[in-house]
Amino acid sequence: MIEFVLNRQLICTDKPAAMPLLDFIRREQRLTGAKVGCGEGDCGACLVLEGRLEEGRMQYRPIVSCLTPLANAHGRHIVTVEGLNLRHLSPVQEAVAEHSAAQCGFCTPGVIVALTALCLSEAPLSPEKAIAALDGNLCRCTGYQSLKKAALAVAARLPVERQNRAIPWLIEQGWLPAYFDAIPGQVAQIPRCSPAFAPGRPILGGGTDLLVQQAGQLMAEAPNLLCERWEIGGICEDGDSCFIGGGLPIAAILENRTLNRHIPGLGRCAPLIASTPVRNMGTLGGNLANASPIADLAIIFLAFETRVLLNGPSGRRELPLEDFYLAYKQIDKSPSEYLEGLRLRLPGARRLFSFEKVSKRTHLDIASVNTAIGLDFDGETMSRVRLSAGGVSPVPLLLRRTGAFLEGKMISESVLGRANALMQEEISPISDIRGSADYKRLLLRQLFFAHFLKLFPEHLSFENIHNEGLLAHEKHSRFRAREGAIRLSG
Amino acid sequence: MANPDKNKALNTKKLKMPFGVPGHNLTEIEREVPADEPSALPVNEKLSVVGKRVKRVDALQKVTGAAKYTADIQLPGMLYGKFLRSPYPHARIKSLDVSAARKHPGVFAVIVQGKEGEQKDQYDGKELPRLRFAGQAIAAVAAESMNIAREALGLIKVEYEPLPFVVNLDEARKPGAPLVYEEVIEDRGSAGDVGVTAADEQKGNLRGPTTSSFFGGPRGDVEKGFAEADVILEKEYRTQVQTHCCLETHGAVADWRPDMLTVYSSNQSTRDTRNDLVELFGLPTSKVRVVTEFMGGGFGSKFGAGETGVAATWLSKLSGRPVKLMLEREEEQISAGNRPNSHQILKVGAKKDGTLTAVDLLSYGTAGVGLGAGVGRVAQDMYVCPNFKMAQYDVFTHAGPGQAFRAPGNVQGAFAMESLIDELAEKLDMDPLALRDKIDANDIRRIQRKAGAEKFGWKRRKAGADTGPVKRGIGVAQATWPRFVEMDSSVMVRINRSGSVEALSGVQDIGTGTKTIIAQVVAEELGLKAEDITIKIGDTNYPDALGSGGSKTAENITPPARNATYQAKLKMLQGVAAAWQVDVEDIELKNGEVFVKADPSKKMTFAEAAKRMPTSQVIATASRTADYGGFLSGSWLGHGRLGAVQFAEVSVDTETGFIKVERVVAVHTCGRPINPMQLESQINGGVIMGVGYALLEDRVIDPNTGHQVNTGLDTYKLPYAKEIPQIECVLIENYDAHSSTDVAGIGEPANIATAAAIANAVYNAIGVRIYELPITPQKVLAALGHI
Repeated sequence: MIEFVLNRQLICTDKPAAMPLLDFIRREQRLTGAKVGCGEGDCGACLVLEGRLEEGRMQYRPIVSCLTPLANAHGRHIVTVEGLNLRHLSPVQEAVAEHSAAQCGFCTPGVIVALTALCLSEAPLSPEKAIAALDGNLCRCTGYQSLKKAALAVAARLPVERQNRAIPWLIEQGWLPAYFDAIPGQVAQIPRCSPAFAPGRPILGGGTDLLVQQAGQLMAEAPNLLCERWEIGGICEDGDSCFIGGGLPIAAILENRTLNRHIPGLGRCAPLIASTPVRNMGTLGGNLANASPIADLAIIFLAFETRVLLNGPSGRRELPLEDFYLAYKQIDKSPSEYLEGLRLRLPGARRLFSFEKVSKRTHLDIASVNTAIGLDFDGETMSRVRLSAGGVSPVPLLLRRTGAFLEGKMISESVLGRANALMQEEISPISDIRGSADYKRLLLRQLFFAHFLKLFPEHLSFENIHNEGLLAHEKHSRFRAREGAIRLSG
Repeated sequence: MANPDKNKALNTKKLKMPFGVPGHNLTEIEREVPADEPSALPVNEKLSVVGKRVKRVDALQKVTGAAKYTADIQLPGMLYGKFLRSPYPHARIKSLDVSAARKHPGVFAVIVQGKEGEQKDQYDGKELPRLRFAGQAIAAVAAESMNIAREALGLIKVEYEPLPFVVNLDEARKPGAPLVYEEVIEDRGSAGDVGVTAADEQKGNLRGPTTSSFFGGPRGDVEKGFAEADVILEKEYRTQVQTHCCLETHGAVADWRPDMLTVYSSNQSTRDTRNDLVELFGLPTSKVRVVTEFMGGGFGSKFGAGETGVAATWLSKLSGRPVKLMLEREEEQISAGNRPNSHQILKVGAKKDGTLTAVDLLSYGTAGVGLGAGVGRVAQDMYVCPNFKMAQYDVFTHAGPGQAFRAPGNVQGAFAMESLIDELAEKLDMDPLALRDKIDANDIRRIQRKAGAEKFGWKRRKAGADTGPVKRGIGVAQATWPRFVEMDSSVMVRINRSGSVEALSGVQDIGTGTKTIIAQVVAEELGLKAEDITIKIGDTNYPDALGSGGSKTAENITPPARNATYQAKLKMLQGVAAAWQVDVEDIELKNGEVFVKADPSKKMTFAEAAKRMPTSQVIATASRTADYGGFLSGSWLGHGRLGAVQFAEVSVDTETGFIKVERVVAVHTCGRPINPMQLESQINGGVIMGVGYALLEDRVIDPNTGHQVNTGLDTYKLPYAKEIPQIECVLIENYDAHSSTDVAGIGEPANIATAAAIANAVYNAIGVRIYELPITPQKVLAALGHI
């Protein structure tokens, strides 16, 4: 039995675990506010809020219901646009109406949900964050100008400090229906379920990949649903290492305080990875085990000494993340094993980290090339260097030789120039829809330099790097950091 | 062409109407208009509802999720329909066996494309249509659930004979290329009345050349023109295939009953959809109802019943149950239409002072298995050069059919023409705006250029002036689009004794705000607020009206809305006028009150006046009448030109090739603006569609398999909220005195110039011109010689 609260109503259903939540909402419950736009999590027309009870309070995040396995709703509060309606228009609805931000209106329910999620979030607000709240909503009509105005109008009406008070304040002020008050009690009564792991059956995490690829098949197969199990693990610090549960959504990892304390700048990678709703769903385990050569989390964690923890019928085992990837789309994991999590060796206090990514579109896109670097120093010299790159080989690649070359050296333009030459030998990009092989080589070179320019703006000059960077005609060019040009994420 | 006097009303009156651009040349002009039409509407400044930023009247339904789109329609006993599609880009079907699908439990109907009326188990391949693109519909089923429908499709046995195919524009033109059609195909005008006509020759995969458009044919002597030129430029341009990406896919719910066929359909014309079904199913017009209350975007791709409407109707007719058939995203991207690509060779000759002496265009484009890849109207009509000729070829390929797409042909054509004019300006050492002032005879665009340059701060940089790797640049480009009169557009207005008012019309609101502008026009005439008017549209149960496309809805639906309101108002006021002993024309309606103009002490509320109506309702219906200005009249005629000028600023990172559009200033004119807020939204949307076209969007078909590679919105790149530039709209009010509302459209002009303006800005930034869209980082780096 899958149990959850849908808007005001408790749902108990025996529909298939992998049935898309959107189909359940629209077909079974006849709530048609959430729309079918793409069925692939790209357009946000199907956005709903997912509320989880965390430490006695509800935490709401927007998710794309077209890719949410119905069973992942278990024990949650799912809110569609209908569940946000009051007797009057909520200030969010008002803002969208007043600014003419609903044109054909097909994306509008998703927009209302995304902006309500912004109101429910207790993170500090800024105009950029207000606009970023719409990063997963596709609109083909308005050119987004009116949507942005509506988002800014909503943000302007929210108090800056809402820590621990978002929901009561929103109810008091007539932004949210009063029934939200009773939800924690209702959700708490739903029994947790942790079914036994069934080896051989498919493993389903957040659904962001598998429901795109094989929704029909999964519906028939009763997959292992491991989000619940993995969350118990969460993120725990243990001496000089840290365990990160494989079922954790990407957002929970990037926003985690412990991890951000040890990996400065980790949280700032988020805008370059998928969209807000997809980050709330896609899991660490899924991102790694999908074995994409451009998986962002694989590239990030390769910059650290990280071990993969596998669990299966023959027990637990672990191996270095770089050894987990065998060949294109092949990993060292038997079908009966599941990815329990990662064990990250906590970096030293002076560890520097940088992540860079270039894709066709700046946001909500998979990388053409991505790369990360983790650096330790011994005085002025680099003592430990882990450099990773995606999109330039059949697997997410740890550039061992380039890293080893850099170790024991001081940073200089000439060292980086020679490192780039070595790096170019280590990679083997192919031409595909994301760019030609030469283009990807060039991109990785630029991103490699960008790591150092970002981390050591005082020590290095763009001009000198380029003098070493083999492109003679660029020798005159001077570096001028511009957001959105070379995208500095850290 | 129709006789201008043919539709002239018998009884006429003379009106003095506003004429020109306020702040520039506003004056008055006398027009002879039908006697039963209202008096002249003053300029917007003097009005209370029209011209104001009125909130959409259907916003409430949209923001609460209550608005019902086609996919949201749920009827008792409804079945789900789904298509079986071709896995081959080109194949003959040897045999087709649907017996297992017919017997599958939960399946209620199976149809085979082209043989819908023949209910057989096996079909001989010889009788079936050839498959000409990967994704072409072969058959369809209707079943109790989507899953059963999918299972049933898997039970259909098809034996294919794969045939050689060609998906590339250049390859398809070569002698010996696999033929898409062996016979000459009928021109169905599928892609927006551009390109070839039925009369054009078809040879190999080439159809054409077409040498004329509805603006006419060749002019003057092009050879002589080039001989007189001081400068001749000839360049080649290429544009990509763009897909519409309507957020709501194509689809329909058909409910065939013995007494009436009702079809809910996501489409841009209830009237055309109904007429298609009437013709296909041999039903009386009165027995077919088409409903489109809300729809999630069309952009030209949703005219008529289409594949989904026809199949859903067949499946409903055969099963006796309602059938819903919505396309999935992948099907939408492959089969539901696209903007054809183009290869244009454009040559212009000019005198030293800029005067154009000749324009010569040769173009090729593919609308896949369809027609309509012409691009010539911009070259023909923007800078009306006395010596002009064009040759446009449609090239057939084994790809999904093109459809009309927001300014069909003009977006492609403007990229080439406006890039070339930019280049010509540099060659002549002239400012691009100064050159256009010299060669562009259009008065409105002259005003637009001036206003835009001021707003934008036009001061062209020297190419490559920035020293860092990030280069900034600015560019400008222009648009032209015809103005259409479509007289088959009617509105009924009912005033109820209770004081409520409704406007009813078959016209649909495809998201542009048609409901709201009708409400504004009606409210203005009755002295009410827009929200006081109930708008019932998108249903053929109401009076017929035009399809929404070609930027013609506002132009043609607001005059009958105003005229019908005026006539209903006169009927409503008869009793009051008699009581006050004045003529109905002496009564004014304003702020919810009814009063005698000359004696405001004689007044009552609108509701009180309505109570005095002789009948429970007064009703009037009006249709679009012939244009006031003595323009040609008829049911489908272009007249006038809608111009626009757009300015773009970009930054280009020469290290990564990444282009960021920083700012766009869009200067537009659409007659009398009814709702500036909605107009701005349309302009913003057009600009962003242009940004996507310039930088991101590109349908890719694998030449080895013939399959479209990017069938999802993850791989077909569209701009999102964080990719967009700052957009500033400048609306220039313009009065032409051509109808009782004097409105023109905005949809297409908003989309035409953007890509060209961005391309010119990129050139200004990096000093290298890119002749092919989209302008990707890789193309930038290649142009700069980095890869």
